[in-house]
Amino acid sequence: MCNTLDARGLSCPQPVIMTLNEINKVKKGEIIIMVDTDTAKENVSRASLAQGWTIVDTESTEGGYKITIRRED
Amino acid sequence: MLNIFRRKKKGPNVGNRGRGILVFENTTEVIKAESLLKGNGWDIEVKGPPPEIRSGCDLVIEFPLIEELSVIRELASRNIKPVQVVPVTSVLLEPVDLLHEKEYGNYLMVRAANMKITVDKNTNLIVNISGGGCPDVPYLAEKMVNKYLDDAPQPRDVGYTLCAYALQIAYERVIKLCSV
Repeated sequence: MCNTLDARGLSCPQPVIMTLNEINKVKKGEIIIMVDTDTAKENVSRASLAQGWTIVDTESTEGGYKITIRRED
Repeated sequence: MLNIFRRKKKGPNVGNRGRGILVFENTTEVIKAESLLKGNGWDIEVKGPPPEIRSGCDLVIEFPLIEELSVIRELASRNIKPVQVVPVTSVLLEPVDLLHEKEYGNYLMVRAANMKITVDKNTNLIVNISGGGCPDVPYLAEKMVNKYLDDAPQPRDVGYTLCAYALQIAYERVIKLCSV
């Protein structure tokens, strides 16, 4: 099951904190995070990698980015 | 052994009277000079420049004017040269006078001016560095995120802009809050 977080319109560090809370909750699987700034994209990606998750895809969307992260073990 | 004979490098406390400011070309020089002078015990403070100073960067160093020659000599020993040395004639502004703290559940964010640092309160892990508009912010984030407060480098040691200076202030605040 894939969880989607909508962090658009939120300023840093809130997108990162939302992502970390979700990572701590689900432990593994796939999470999609929607952000609307380059800074949020970089910060969410950096935080996810630091937690041992993989960036599967970063897709440009209208007005932002859709970041897909995954952890399998 | 001769340390006991060394003069304490502290000027008289006479408010702004007898104080001067060192103006530098850029923030990197200010950070270097601050680190050198404070490290050697000088009574100095980083401040915002008064309006009449129209050269240099957004920060100046306030120092005891009576010690001007010694201070300049000390800076010169590290090839740091101020562009101007002038007496203080008006009230100097604090360089970063806005500190803001906010808790997000287990996370604590401290903002100083335009820079924010966020840590996990339970583990003291730095989870985010953001803000800025300076070229070294991504580098600062790369160096500090996912490190514990005790292990992370200090912004003043790895950065070179006003953002690094602001982040240093936020970092020091976080250290203080998280060590309680």
